[in-house]
Amino acid sequence: MLTQAMIKELTAIVGSQNIITNQAGLAAYGYDATLMAQRPVGIVFPRSTEDTSALVKYANQVGLVMVPRGAGTNLSGGSLPLENSLVVCLSRMTRILEIDPKNFTATVEAGLVNFDLQEALEKYGYYYPPDPASYKASTLGGNIAECSGGPRCFKYGVTRDYILGLEVVLPSGKIIEVGGKNFKSEFRYDMTRLLVGSEGTLGLVTKAILRILPKPFAKRTMLAIYNKVEDASRTVADIVAAGIIPTTLEMMDNLLINTADEHVKLGLPRDAGALLIIEVDGYEVDLDKQVRLIEELCEKADVRSFKVATSQAEADQLWLARRTVIGSVGRRRPSYSLQDVTIPRSTFPQMVDAILACSRRYDLPIGILAHAGDGNFHPLVLFDERDASEVERVHKAEVDLIRDALALGGTMSGEHGIGVLKKEYLAWEFSETAIEAFRKIKRSFDPTAILNRGKIVDLAAEG
Amino acid sequence: MAKADRKSASLDDVIKDLYLCNKCGFCQPACKVYKTDLNESFSARGRVQLIKGVAEGKLPVDEGFRDAVNSCLLCQECTVACPSGVKPHELVLAARRYMQQTEGLPLDKKIILGTLADPFRRKLAFSTARFLRDKVSNKIQGFNDLKGIDVRGLPIDKTGFIDQVPELNKAPVSKGKVGFFVGCFINHSLAKTGHAIVKVLNKNDIDVVVPKKQVCCGTPQNAYGDFELAKKNARKNIRLYKDLDAVITGCGSCGAMLKNEYLHLFADEPDFLPEVENFAKKIFDFSTYVMHEIKLDPQKFKVFHHKVTYHDGCHMSRGLKITKEPRDILKSIPRIEYVELREADRCCGAAGLFQSYFYEIATEISRQKVQNIDNTGADIVVTGCPACVHRIQGSLRLTGKEQKVVHLADLLAEAYQ
Repeated sequence: MLTQAMIKELTAIVGSQNIITNQAGLAAYGYDATLMAQRPVGIVFPRSTEDTSALVKYANQVGLVMVPRGAGTNLSGGSLPLENSLVVCLSRMTRILEIDPKNFTATVEAGLVNFDLQEALEKYGYYYPPDPASYKASTLGGNIAECSGGPRCFKYGVTRDYILGLEVVLPSGKIIEVGGKNFKSEFRYDMTRLLVGSEGTLGLVTKAILRILPKPFAKRTMLAIYNKVEDASRTVADIVAAGIIPTTLEMMDNLLINTADEHVKLGLPRDAGALLIIEVDGYEVDLDKQVRLIEELCEKADVRSFKVATSQAEADQLWLARRTVIGSVGRRRPSYSLQDVTIPRSTFPQMVDAILACSRRYDLPIGILAHAGDGNFHPLVLFDERDASEVERVHKAEVDLIRDALALGGTMSGEHGIGVLKKEYLAWEFSETAIEAFRKIKRSFDPTAILNRGKIVDLAAEG
Repeated sequence: MAKADRKSASLDDVIKDLYLCNKCGFCQPACKVYKTDLNESFSARGRVQLIKGVAEGKLPVDEGFRDAVNSCLLCQECTVACPSGVKPHELVLAARRYMQQTEGLPLDKKIILGTLADPFRRKLAFSTARFLRDKVSNKIQGFNDLKGIDVRGLPIDKTGFIDQVPELNKAPVSKGKVGFFVGCFINHSLAKTGHAIVKVLNKNDIDVVVPKKQVCCGTPQNAYGDFELAKKNARKNIRLYKDLDAVITGCGSCGAMLKNEYLHLFADEPDFLPEVENFAKKIFDFSTYVMHEIKLDPQKFKVFHHKVTYHDGCHMSRGLKITKEPRDILKSIPRIEYVELREADRCCGAAGLFQSYFYEIATEISRQKVQNIDNTGADIVVTGCPACVHRIQGSLRLTGKEQKVVHLADLLAEAYQ
């Protein structure tokens, strides 16, 4: 609980419009896109870096643990308030400070929504490549904290590849700037890359200098439909082996084709085993040849139908289906467990087999969604959180999926982060020495673990 | 309300729907209120989670909860956007009904909703408003912008439209007959639009019946959870239009209420439901009726040298799902230059009582609408909803803009000159 004195001080920093302490407000900031929930003690919305710094300094004075938050679409619990925490919500810091197309950069505040930046860049003929499925809702600050990926990663890379510089409020309240607008610079310790993906455990990102790119001249969006998921998975391995790098290579299985189509109503074949959405971009003259090559590989793997979108509207609808598919599974069962295991691309078919086996083992529907080109899987285990026996089986399935991915030389998290959900499995992927190194990094930034306590690793001092 | 009812009030009937929300947050960009205030309690996901909290007994109904639930525009954008098929606007309605049953409506809302539901009190209220506008507010320097509402510019007719016309408005040559459901705004503040609708129909050889005893469709009462009062009016209207085969509306909200919401209201009355279904089938928005039933002849229109754009009201586009007809009609007028409005189907900020209870958010939403209108370069904004006409016209005027906002029927009536 916040004392009246604390509320007064916090209000003095952010203003009465930017603090919430009522029951409903606390409940609304106690969850993210996971199943967990715990109410914070208050929510503050800083409007500037200076506000943020003053808030953090005050929190240090009174020993208030802080949780950074943007849009709250987190899938690993990274933005959940774990214990008597104050939510520092950056959603109201939404300014675009500069768009500099000549230098390929944009400077933005952390609360700006990814899509809102894309819209602003559109006018200049530019775009920002990282595009997590949540990009219409999620903030760039959140994307940076989680090092978000997205469908375009196969060709263009993830968030870390597009962050040139950051302004960060450290857990002490001091403000630092790392990196900058220069495209190249001989970093000593690459603080920017250390902070990207640190899940808000090392500092509060308030501003970022992003790398932007001119929009590609042309694009082709293809839809390949298969009778069997194994055939689609063979195509993925073949495309990678042939040395083709599409912009995106996305896979959805039968279950997800059905739920996505119920939402978007594209008229997808409901009996298909799987589909691939494949996109290539670049110069117009190159594209037809790439499309032909891909079509040949699809046919080799017994594709049922192969189609190139004839209009932007058609491609957009396909992407809408893909981007909203995770939420659409609510049409089957009310709850889902979503993993983001990632494996070396060449082992793609083995991971598909492992997921199918897991689904049979625990008698649970598992939708297979994958950024196939990256080897990044999103197995969606469907259940009802009110059914205790199901919840137990889901937990076991999660464990198996992570173990299967690790056995293939993969990682437990490709793009959603460790947060709270995957913390207990950390020792399977990292040695004790490595985990101790994580703790040392955390301690050097945040010795009292006042910022996002209990995420990624616990410090011994936290008890 | 009897004590027993109050005790039995619960949210149990929507629990299943509340659990459908898996909190992905994809509704956030669809919620204009959230995009303006950037506060989770004022987002569709936030409202659904808070209602779930109350339904499960984990949250009290307090000021924060009421604000969250009342800050919904009922624009239905979240319902369209939700991948899981949750209908947050229906859950908000259920929560408002729950609040109405358990703690009653606050006095101001009770008075407003009761007044609108009763034709006599409604008439009295509009004349009082007109008197106050002319004798008081217009005499006070600077008193035109009342919480973002252009009070001075608000048109209020001296005599309501229903009282201005006979019950039967015959066309010179009669080939058919329709009923006209007038609605509060057209009756008391846009009588000219009422006349325009009758004129266009008459010009196309259709007789128009304007039943004198028609009452408010029930939208405002339904929106704030007073389902019983809404039902009372619904019953009256359904019986009143019994003998007519088609009923024309000139308001997206009235239309969506008569055509869709009446069915929800009477879902638990199987004996009466067939009559409601029959009534719903007869409801046509003005635009669809003139487009599909009488097939307008654009040859008869005069040349119209204007650049126009179109704003979809929320209940017109997502309630009645009418988006194509008004645009096609506009484009068919000779020489008209039609330009599409960015975010044409997003709320204009009116949303019934929302604009006065959450005026800061409403003003910002309207500012964006004005900005988008300005960017089109159009000199006339057309819409099918009287509430949007007032809100958008007022917001334009308050920011010194010259564009005119008219109902589709106004424009067509002029094209027939």
